Amino acid sequence: MLSKTVECPKCKTHITIQGNPRETTIVLCPNCNTKGKFTFQKEKADLETISDHNIIEVKNLTKMFNGFKALDNVSFNVNKGEILGFVGPNGAGKTTTIKLLTNLLTPTTGHAYINNIDVNKNPTKALLLVGSLIEVPGIYDYLTPHEMLTYFGQIHRMNKNEINQKIKEVLKIVKLSEWEHKKIGSFSTGMQRRLAIAKAILHCPAILILDEPVIGLDPRGIKDVRDMLKQFKNKGVTIFLSSHLLNEVKETCDRIIFLDAGKVITQGTIEEILNRIKIDTIEVEFLNQLTEVDIKKIENIPEINSFEKENVFFKIKFDGKPETSNKILTKLTEQGLKVVSFSTKKADLESFYVSIMNDEKGVI
Amino acid sequence: MDVNHYIPSVDDFKNIYLTIKFEMLKHIKRKRILITLILAILIPLIFFIVPPLLNQDYADTANGFAASNLGFVNLLIILSGAIFTGDSISGEFENKTGLLLFSTPQRKSSIFMGKYIASLIATCLIVSLYYLITSMEIVSIYGASGISVEIAQSFLLALLYSNSVVSIVFFFSSIMKRTITSTLVGFFLLLMILPIITAVFTLAEVDPWFIVTHNADLITNVIGTGNGGGVGPGHRFNFTIFKPDLWSGISVMSAYTVILFLTSLVMADRRKME
Repeated sequence: MLSKTVECPKCKTHITIQGNPRETTIVLCPNCNTKGKFTFQKEKADLETISDHNIIEVKNLTKMFNGFKALDNVSFNVNKGEILGFVGPNGAGKTTTIKLLTNLLTPTTGHAYINNIDVNKNPTKALLLVGSLIEVPGIYDYLTPHEMLTYFGQIHRMNKNEINQKIKEVLKIVKLSEWEHKKIGSFSTGMQRRLAIAKAILHCPAILILDEPVIGLDPRGIKDVRDMLKQFKNKGVTIFLSSHLLNEVKETCDRIIFLDAGKVITQGTIEEILNRIKIDTIEVEFLNQLTEVDIKKIENIPEINSFEKENVFFKIKFDGKPETSNKILTKLTEQGLKVVSFSTKKADLESFYVSIMNDEKGVI
Repeated sequence: MDVNHYIPSVDDFKNIYLTIKFEMLKHIKRKRILITLILAILIPLIFFIVPPLLNQDYADTANGFAASNLGFVNLLIILSGAIFTGDSISGEFENKTGLLLFSTPQRKSSIFMGKYIASLIATCLIVSLYYLITSMEIVSIYGASGISVEIAQSFLLALLYSNSVVSIVFFFSSIMKRTITSTLVGFFLLLMILPIITAVFTLAEVDPWFIVTHNADLITNVIGTGNGGGVGPGHRFNFTIFKPDLWSGISVMSAYTVILFLTSLVMADRRKME
């Protein structure tokens, strides 16, 4: 349901009305009783009028494929204007979730809502505000970007001028301006990927659902997509981003959900996740190669649980407490060992990911 | 089954129209229309050009000329139907273009209806061109009076048979995973398998009235002097040739069209992008 504030042409009273996209409603001014008609235009109404919370809501979603449980009672929500990272190993159920959210699959049990509309029950309404990029879609390689995007613009009820203008805009964003009228068949994988992104953003969606958007892109392309996502976030677009690239997720997302074997393992803001990471490794560099005697001295420091050495570099495991770290440094120098650098390993998402995921499945 | 799910709203009609336009553009861009247009022009032209070159006379009557000329229209219908329809649904799944298409805010049934109608328009366009060229040849040889009611009837039957062919191939496209399979199965079913089954039934002296390709013989039979005419029970060959009845043929072709189209819609709608 959309809402819009309109002005009475006679008495200039502001009237708030509600309706569905493309719906025409009769407006009656409470002040002067003037009657009028208003048609809700999706493009103009979407960002202001979608619900503030739970713009995407997944409730107890389960999906079975021939007896295999690809998703197991998954629940989460995405708030308006938020970028949510969806992270997990191959086969965790990320793409299945995205396909359920875009009505490409039907859930075995549970529900997926977009803007409070059940996607499975009313996909045409639910997907009105959504731009999506799922897996690696096939592209109509005998068409040009202009021809392909025109159709998708028309489906979103954009008029001819709007379509032509938006095609130029989005192709500029994805750096394909010069290719607007060239056959897609001659495009590289990266260019096809960028065109698929252009299709997703063509109609100025209020919600973007992106499945591994930077797959096949070169570093420059990855940076462009990252910048684009930040721009969309600044415009208030809600983004649901599935990615293998943890640094990308850290750079762009407000919150992360970790998924494994069809279940949500954990979720939280980037800060919360990083705070949960136990830093229990100190990386030490000594001035010279240590002798057997020196190594014995390190072994005898009770605060050190274990260590690995490689030439003058040591990775020391300890209990993770700052005071213990301090004691280890003091004792190393007291023993006459010449320390060049001493640092606790930085908390990163990769460490967290590896620590919570099953090793056998932990393919990033 | 929720029947309302398949009844289009005003908004769906707009989407169907957009899909028809998009599909026609795809047919043009893939040069499918061009290839079949060339065939639709070339085949009747051969019947017009070759006889004078070989010092042969045209048929005595306009209907005779039309019957021999239109003997190839069945093949053209099958070829066009397979080319335009074979990959219309299976292609979206096999090539994963459905990931772009089916996640848009439109009912899948509108997409499929649009695809079906586009295939139908393309096939009927080719058939119409074939008849137009043939008619122009008839006018040039026999004069305007050569265009008979029978030729018009034949044209309408050819259009009806085009609908059946498109529905049959569309059905295979809705249930098969690969485009090459759906196209070839549709093509060979209509070109070989159903005619063989017809022949087997005929040998067993069972009227194959329910086989659509048997009824397609009406396209030339209505002209009266064509190559598909029945000769009655076993006078010369010691087996029976069954001649399709006009109204029964129309009913069978219509039934194939409607039943297979609706079944295809349901089957395609149930398919998921796994």
